[in-house]
Amino acid sequence: MAGMKTATGDYIDSSWELRVFVGEDDPEAESVTLRVTGESHIGGVLLKIVEEIKRKQDWSDHAIWWEQKRQWLLQTHWTLDKYGILADARLFFGPQHRPIILRLPNRRALRLRASFSQPLFQAVAAICRLLSIRHPEELSLLRAPEKKEKKKKEKEPEEELYDLTKVVLAGGVAPALFRGMPAHFSDSAQTEACYHMLSRPQPPPDPLLLQRLPRPSSLLDKTQLHSRWLDSSRCLMQQGIKAGDMLWLRFKYYSFFDLDPKTDPVRLTQLYEQARWDLLLEETDCTEEEMMVFAALQYHINKLSQSGEVGKTAGTDLGLDDLDAALNNLEVKLEGSASTDVLNNLTTIPELKDHLRIFRPRKLTLKGYRQHWVVFKETTLSYYKSQDEAPGDPIQQLNLKGCEVVPDVNVSGQKFCIKLLVPSPEGMSEIYLRCQDEKQYARWMAGCRLASKGRTMADSSYDSEVQAILAFLSLQRTGGGGSGNHPQGPDASAEGLNPYGLVAPRFQRKFKAKQLTPRILEAHQNVAQLSLSEAQLRFIQAWQSLPDFGISYVVVRFKGSKKDEILGIANNRLIRIDLAVGDVVKTWRFSNMRQWNVNWDIRQVAIEFDEHINVAFSCVSASCRIVHEYIGGYIFLSTRERARGEELDEDLFLQLTGGHEAF
Amino acid sequence: MGESSDDIDQMFSNLLGEMDLLTQSLGVDTLPPPESKPPRAEFNYSVGFKDLNESLNALEDQDLDALMADLVADISEAEQRTIQAQKESSQNQHHPASVEVPDFSGAAALSYGANVTAISVSQYEDDLPPPPADPMLNLPLPPPPPEPLSQEEEAAQAKADKIKLALEKLKEAKVKKLVVKVHMNDNSTKSLMVDERQSARDVLDNLFEKTHCDCNVDWCLYEIYPELQIERIFEDHENVIEVLSDWTRDTENKVLFLEKEEKYAVFKNPQNFYLNNKGRKEGKETNEKMNAKNKESLLEESFCGTSIIVPELEGALSLKEDGKKTWKRRYFLLRASGIYYVPKGKTKTSRDLACFIQFENVNIYYGIQCKMKYKAPTDYCFVLKHPQIQKESQYIKYLCCDDARTLNQWVMGIRIAKYGKTLYDNYQRAMARAGLASRWTNQSTVSTAPPATSAAPSTGLKTSTPQANGQIPQAAHSISTVLEEAHRHAETTKDKKPALGNQGPGAPEAHQLPKSSLPPPPPVRRSSDVCSSPATAPRARGLGGGFPAPAPPEDSLPPPPPPPPLDEDELPPPPPDFHDAPPDFVPPPPPSFAGDVGSALPPPPPPPPAPEAAGPPRVALKRPPAPPKRKESPGPAVGGGSGEQDFMSDLMKALQKKRGNMS
Repeated sequence: MAGMKTATGDYIDSSWELRVFVGEDDPEAESVTLRVTGESHIGGVLLKIVEEIKRKQDWSDHAIWWEQKRQWLLQTHWTLDKYGILADARLFFGPQHRPIILRLPNRRALRLRASFSQPLFQAVAAICRLLSIRHPEELSLLRAPEKKEKKKKEKEPEEELYDLTKVVLAGGVAPALFRGMPAHFSDSAQTEACYHMLSRPQPPPDPLLLQRLPRPSSLLDKTQLHSRWLDSSRCLMQQGIKAGDMLWLRFKYYSFFDLDPKTDPVRLTQLYEQARWDLLLEETDCTEEEMMVFAALQYHINKLSQSGEVGKTAGTDLGLDDLDAALNNLEVKLEGSASTDVLNNLTTIPELKDHLRIFRPRKLTLKGYRQHWVVFKETTLSYYKSQDEAPGDPIQQLNLKGCEVVPDVNVSGQKFCIKLLVPSPEGMSEIYLRCQDEKQYARWMAGCRLASKGRTMADSSYDSEVQAILAFLSLQRTGGGGSGNHPQGPDASAEGLNPYGLVAPRFQRKFKAKQLTPRILEAHQNVAQLSLSEAQLRFIQAWQSLPDFGISYVVVRFKGSKKDEILGIANNRLIRIDLAVGDVVKTWRFSNMRQWNVNWDIRQVAIEFDEHINVAFSCVSASCRIVHEYIGGYIFLSTRERARGEELDEDLFLQLTGGHEAF
Repeated sequence: MGESSDDIDQMFSNLLGEMDLLTQSLGVDTLPPPESKPPRAEFNYSVGFKDLNESLNALEDQDLDALMADLVADISEAEQRTIQAQKESSQNQHHPASVEVPDFSGAAALSYGANVTAISVSQYEDDLPPPPADPMLNLPLPPPPPEPLSQEEEAAQAKADKIKLALEKLKEAKVKKLVVKVHMNDNSTKSLMVDERQSARDVLDNLFEKTHCDCNVDWCLYEIYPELQIERIFEDHENVIEVLSDWTRDTENKVLFLEKEEKYAVFKNPQNFYLNNKGRKEGKETNEKMNAKNKESLLEESFCGTSIIVPELEGALSLKEDGKKTWKRRYFLLRASGIYYVPKGKTKTSRDLACFIQFENVNIYYGIQCKMKYKAPTDYCFVLKHPQIQKESQYIKYLCCDDARTLNQWVMGIRIAKYGKTLYDNYQRAMARAGLASRWTNQSTVSTAPPATSAAPSTGLKTSTPQANGQIPQAAHSISTVLEEAHRHAETTKDKKPALGNQGPGAPEAHQLPKSSLPPPPPVRRSSDVCSSPATAPRARGLGGGFPAPAPPEDSLPPPPPPPPLDEDELPPPPPDFHDAPPDFVPPPPPSFAGDVGSALPPPPPPPPAPEAAGPPRVALKRPPAPPKRKESPGPAVGGGSGEQDFMSDLMKALQKKRGNMS
């Protein structure tokens, strides 16, 4: 071995001393000095370091980081010469996996160990494996925005931080087992809680917090986010991320492959959360009507997840419903006294009879509500002057099938009206039913809703419908009945939910809570039968069908143009958008694209489309690497369709999105 | 379960055997006699429609014949099922002729009793149909309760099963049937029996059998309201009876059977609806060019994702004011959630839009001659109304487009928004049907397939008489069964079928070549320029020529630099691997490709030395006739030699070259 010295103290062989710091890149760290030659292999060096340290520890995750070159020395059979390492190299012997704090799509923070040495693409894949999210290629990491995060920290220092760092160590590199709850989550109560956090939707946010969070006020603001994406072909270490840093995990590519509620609870939930925040923070705009549907779905999802009906499917087959009910009924009867009129019971349909006040708006009439005796049977509503006349001909009979049912409710004003728009061959007839109290209202309302769908009160969903209406009314009472701006804790129960937590802040300004609640209630009737995962899926689908969905904005300057413009990148096209007005100027589809080139020196992306259409632009708000990765990433995702496997063609992805690491 | 299923089978065959008795003329093993109406067929069905009597009275003699044929077919269908049931059950002791009612025991007797009493029995005679006994009867009357059941050791389970079966029979017997008069395009009419479970697709299939049409996808049922001057296409999944039951008793409305190319226009030329960029006024010409592969991928993108994509559609339309003959121009936008308009003084951003209508409760119709009737600006009108409205009403919305193309886009867009993926499913079914029909006709000879198939599908194999308007040849029945069989075969195996119509191989192929247009581009690393070429291989036109052409600039480039010093050992797999790789994701070039390459080799001129110099034809602003002279990126796409024919080899060369560079 090396070590023989000449009289002057020089070593006679070609060996030299190499200093290696132990630990992460802390200059104060302890160091060891080794005697090496240019022919020393990295593996040998590692061995020597461990020997030098003289500590019993699992060193298997440690590797050498070369600070000047910002590079890991991972090829253990390479020699120092091959790497070009000389005595002046600053080398750090540290773990490849280090803890980071992830801000998940649901805005909760989670600490886990991520690889600092693999390309980000692989690191994200490993994280997703740990979190049991399929198709990790759709996700990536962003740097956390600096200032805002600090502000938030000051205000809520008590944020709960879930910890999965131990799980990483325990599970090691081996892929986790997926059986029911992934095995690695069932280790301890903490990890189990973490899995619940991951796989169950979070309660609606505090409306005040919602107002405080930054929202984009212009297209320009929407470009900010996209400048923070990390580079998927380089490792975290190379991108200046340090252990303990906060990073955001987000779905980056809006092309969600094979979304399956059964196998994807975490993925579905996190996607739902990202969609929800996207809408609440007005990253994606929607209309008022759409927002009401989103709010109703959120309300419904929250209610289900809190009542623990996670796996239960609420909706049963409509056709079988009454048959089954009838069967049960029949069976019971047959077992008992056989002589009862079985089929008669089968066909009796519950009916509602009561005194209600009715108002029929007509032209040139000043009549208000009038008391009537109202009978509601099957899907037909009949009303009479008084109860005595009930067996006779009603004043009017309305078949509610296909009608529109609109709640007109003000809880604090004790007004419980049902507005019905009943179609008839002549047009729609409008009629208002005024109920005395919540209970009466809920029963009649539920009946009307079912009837409008052609179902009767014998339907098994009737009772749950009544309950849903009552629950929603109580929401209005507690949440927004009074001043309307009650701050609610983040874990407000379904009972005391504030409708403001369900809509984007601009609707908080536009509507009072008591105006909002009935509208959400109205939208809710169409989704009340969905199960949790169905509702989440519906939410995601509605989000996807927004015209502005899934567009990532970047400020660019087109070649030959003197002003900045916006480039929108969607999963199938590029959109040129006027920065000031927001109008779409031009759309190019990826399917017409022949090639794209990036000139890293002048930060210019040049794209050639069919028919010799050439487009070139330089990137202003984000680096052209991000644009390049977006385009390549979408091209990559579009190739997934064919090979329906789980395994990823990593090389292809890196080929499509990389290419710049040489510089 | 085995025991109970035997019971069921037995009961089943008993019930059906009874039916046989009623038909009197038929043996089990033979088909129903196709000739001559059964003399006195007592038939078990209840007619739930008020004016059956009237409609029957109105029928021509030959219509009656056809009807009778339908009825007999029904019976024979039931018989076939009996045969099947017999086969399935191992007990072959059943002889329909000898079945006696006393055989029924327990619940079976009960159900049978219900059948007999509850159901109107109509007798059909040669001259005039007598009125159905109780046509309005929708609910089964309770049968006389069974006397103490002669109970053996029947398990409760068996009992429940019996009850279930009994109820099912009951339900079936309750099925509403309606005689529908369908107007053919030659001004003749056909009457056919439609039961309440049948969709428009079923009725179409039925009509295909009765007529000699080519079964192409354009055939549709068409609803006309002469009074309102509106009309629309039945969607294939719609329940026909449900739609018709909205008509009033004295309606002039008609159902037509005709070809409408609008029906599935979006699937034949999706680009006309999805790629309708603003500023592309001469759209039609360029649109025609889209090749089948791109169409497929466009359709897949729009209809096969997690949520469907509704075409982006917006523009000024004229809206008829309620109750007046004046029209107001407004800017409308189509979204998945409904039609919106831009209120006065507002912008067309999502948050400012006002909802005009949502699609849940309305159908879309074409307005006919609105110019004359309502003083509409043009005759290109569409109408939205609740299906139940049959008379003029302020609740009917009339919108007027500037031209036919816009009208078709709006109508199709609204249908997509309203029906979603169902529309696509309908189309695929129609294609499968059309493909089969064409194959059948190609086989020129009428095979004498054994008519006694056990198929008896629910999709109306009702024709068995030759006299149906004299149009059905003797072999009609066998044809249809064969078709049906083939159809089902095709549905299960999805094998390739010959094409019909202009679309080429339809549904099945769509599955085989889903994502053809976006093969991955292998990026090529260059000194200062990374070229990623999204190899849009299947572009038939100009691509083959265009792509390899930029050879000249290649020469002028400096030679590729030495490979980056690092990661030599982490090189991508050697070329042989690569040769295997592409077929996974890159589809073979379309057949037309080679020809195109040969003929059209328009190499884009070499890039001008100073691409920045003059920028007059901005690609993005207008659509100039393709500015081919400007190649904006300094680097060529892929440095293949010139004159390569195959794009794939181009790609491969590029990749190999890249690898060569690096190693």
